[in-house]
Amino acid sequence: MNLLVTTTVIAPILAAAAALLLRAHPKSRDVVTIVGIGLATLASYAMLIDVNANGSQTVRVGGWAPELGIVLVADLFAVLVLPIALSIILVVEIFAIGQRRTAWGANPELAGPLLGVLTGGVSLAILTGDLFTLFVAFELILVSSYVLLTHQGQRDQIRSGMTYVVMNLLASTLFLFGVAFVYAATGTINLALLAERIPELDSGVRLGIGAWFFVVFGTKAAVFPLFSWLPDSYPTAPTTITAVFAGLLTKIGIYSMIRFHTLTGMDELGPIMLVIAGITMVVGALGALAQSDIKRILSFHVISQIGYMLMGLGLFSAAGTTGAILFLLHHMPVKTVLFLVGGLIENHEGTSSLSRSGGLAARKPVIAVLFAIPALSLAGLPPFSGFVAKFAVISAGIDESAVAIVVVALFAGILTLLSMTKIWLGVFWGTDADGLEAVPTAANNRRLMFAATGLAVAGTLTISFFAGSVFDLSQRAAEELRSSDAYITTVTEGAQE
Amino acid sequence: MIAAHSPIVRLGIRAASPLAILVGVYLLFAGHNQPGGGFAAGLVFGAVAALRTVAGLQRPINTGALVAAGTALVAVVAVAPLLWGDPMLDQQIVSAEIPLLGKVKTGSALPFDIGVTAIVVGLVLAVLDGLGARELAETSVPKPGGAK
Repeated sequence: MNLLVTTTVIAPILAAAAALLLRAHPKSRDVVTIVGIGLATLASYAMLIDVNANGSQTVRVGGWAPELGIVLVADLFAVLVLPIALSIILVVEIFAIGQRRTAWGANPELAGPLLGVLTGGVSLAILTGDLFTLFVAFELILVSSYVLLTHQGQRDQIRSGMTYVVMNLLASTLFLFGVAFVYAATGTINLALLAERIPELDSGVRLGIGAWFFVVFGTKAAVFPLFSWLPDSYPTAPTTITAVFAGLLTKIGIYSMIRFHTLTGMDELGPIMLVIAGITMVVGALGALAQSDIKRILSFHVISQIGYMLMGLGLFSAAGTTGAILFLLHHMPVKTVLFLVGGLIENHEGTSSLSRSGGLAARKPVIAVLFAIPALSLAGLPPFSGFVAKFAVISAGIDESAVAIVVVALFAGILTLLSMTKIWLGVFWGTDADGLEAVPTAANNRRLMFAATGLAVAGTLTISFFAGSVFDLSQRAAEELRSSDAYITTVTEGAQE
Repeated sequence: MIAAHSPIVRLGIRAASPLAILVGVYLLFAGHNQPGGGFAAGLVFGAVAALRTVAGLQRPINTGALVAAGTALVAVVAVAPLLWGDPMLDQQIVSAEIPLLGKVKTGSALPFDIGVTAIVVGLVLAVLDGLGARELAETSVPKPGGAK
């Protein structure tokens, strides 16, 4: 486990260093990046198997006790999310290698190394067992994302990048303040010790901490009304970058929220979370309906879908948390695939605007199929993973007799389906409205892009096929989080030698 | 560039560089038990390099390699303890009697700090180059004797 945990964090960072050194050699640079991220991905799957069989495990960095040092905790929740997160980055990197020789692609000299650093940050954020390391991991992710977002230096990228940087810096500052507050109130920032000490605090202090971190993680997760940075900045970035961001960044925010608020038992915040979840769903879905560009529609969906995860969390019941975890697992790959397909469309139509493209279903049926599967899944139609996830969240809502939020969730689902139909009508049916040429791409690169997208679609289908076992795993992970005893014992006693 | 026109600035920076580097090296070694460390040392070295850039003096050029080498060093130091079966980032401490300096204590944290220093210096210079500092310093160095 020691080796596996280290690999997921360090391998991508080493690969980033090597890729930076090999800047002038495109072939070996790409190979090194793929190998680094690939190794981390393999290690994460091995961790899933190990933890599933032998239970949660802890690595004490530098051999320090949890009160003093950094612990990395591989519990079931972490090892469920980690393999999917890393697989997404791997697939996108493959896609990026195909795409980057066109005008739409990211600058490979920067994108390779930065994706490596981002991967290391994502692994660290998912595995870490204390708040300050979580802050460092967020910073690793954010600093690389700032550059990835704006490195092409186009006018609208810089403009929306500005909002992105300011909002996230603000959230990071609040995060740091929050860490200080927590330390002042409890004398520790280790999550396992916090799970013991926060419930003993005065209810005012306790809820203050909960609300503070709800704002911090909420900004990262783009919940209403803190989402303003997202729909402007995501669509302007190169497709591959947007695909990674949409699949991962907001999800790391909601992941941290699920972990922190469930472990520390912030049940009283539930009603507020539910209200915000409802507004987030509807505002995101309505925003999507109003757009006329594929990437912008998909960006608003990111917001809307965060609402469902927040709803699962806000119910603060075993079924609700299970639903939130399941939704997270389903949503990450599906969202990424949709953006990758958006990239394919852009490549073939020369634009991602709905009004300027059309008739792609007749010319490129493959793209139509690749789009239809994740789109139906996102809208929550059976038999895809989205149906299982949405069903879990909504049935958890019915169990808690939270009627209002259930109605809102179903309504937002219809809106989502409507905006997917809008993409379908605009891009795949009708005729090509203007004569915009496809972006010239070498056959090899095109094949690589299709292969990566196909792989990702296959991945989402796998989740649907094994929905039963994924559901069971999510349920176990949710129970571990809610009781928090298992987590505390793993961290304080189970030192991994 | 104004600094390049002024021999006082150029000379001053040239004279101050070795002293500032000495401070940086001190911080790098002091960081183990006292205020200092790789990041602080990197900032001091970065400041030296930035001043030298402005004055058009010699300084490291290959910023990418600096960052990459630093990252690689840090990552290798982090992973190395695994070879002996220890958790990552575990420290080995060495102390030795050195004439003049007395008892010196150091450890595997030192190469880690050196790596951090390299990353910081590399990034500072990369940002300066990104802002066009080098071109600015080069384009306006006046010919000795003056054209007008």
